Amino acid sequence: MNGDTIKITVLLFGACREAAGAGEMNCDLTSPADVAGAWNEVKARFPNLEKFERSALFAVNEEHARKDQPLEDGDTLAVFPPVSGG
Amino acid sequence: MDIFEITREPIDKLGLEKRLLTGGAGAVVTFDGVVRDNTKGRRVVSLQYEAYGPMAVKEMRRIGDEIRERWPDVERVGIIHRFGPLKISESSVVIVITSPHRRVAFEACRYAIDRLKQTVPIWKKEIFEDGEEWVEGQAPEVGQ
Repeated sequence: MNGDTIKITVLLFGACREAAGAGEMNCDLTSPADVAGAWNEVKARFPNLEKFERSALFAVNEEHARKDQPLEDGDTLAVFPPVSGG
Repeated sequence: MDIFEITREPIDKLGLEKRLLTGGAGAVVTFDGVVRDNTKGRRVVSLQYEAYGPMAVKEMRRIGDEIRERWPDVERVGIIHRFGPLKISESSVVIVITSPHRRVAFEACRYAIDRLKQTVPIWKKEIFEDGEEWVEGQAPEVGQ
């Protein structure tokens, strides 16, 4: 329902995790919520993440996601820089 | 059976090839990504890899699906990526493709490593003699 509070888990990886000094946090959002809104909450809590504004990527429940993707109660949002495996 | 794994332990490359070998295979192409001792001339002491484990395995499996769509002749796909601290010359990723004939295995193996570097959520930090830096990945294409 619009206006309800939803709870999500936020995971941070790589340089984002290091800049925040945390790898996992809980976040309360007001429905309807999306990735962009959650990202704003995370940045407000960890201002050091502001430098990732242009580069940060997102995944919702282990699937790559865009900023306009809606979030539901219980979702897991991951925030990370462009991947550099290999 | 295809194999998609992440591990903190050294990767058993020969073991992976063996696990994937079937009677129908006539070619085994293996890509072995190893830790280089320098980045643009700056001496690297070691690398530190971090993975979003469950999603990394999912994305590897997706690469396997993409390979089968493009090259239906592929017999087996195996991808193992290591995480944690790695020393110079240790393998960070091993990809094995088997197929009846060589061309398909070469092409699919090249595709797998290129795709892995775009989509699999793993990050590396270079530890230099005089500091450390996260390696900047390439921004993915739109629509991913």
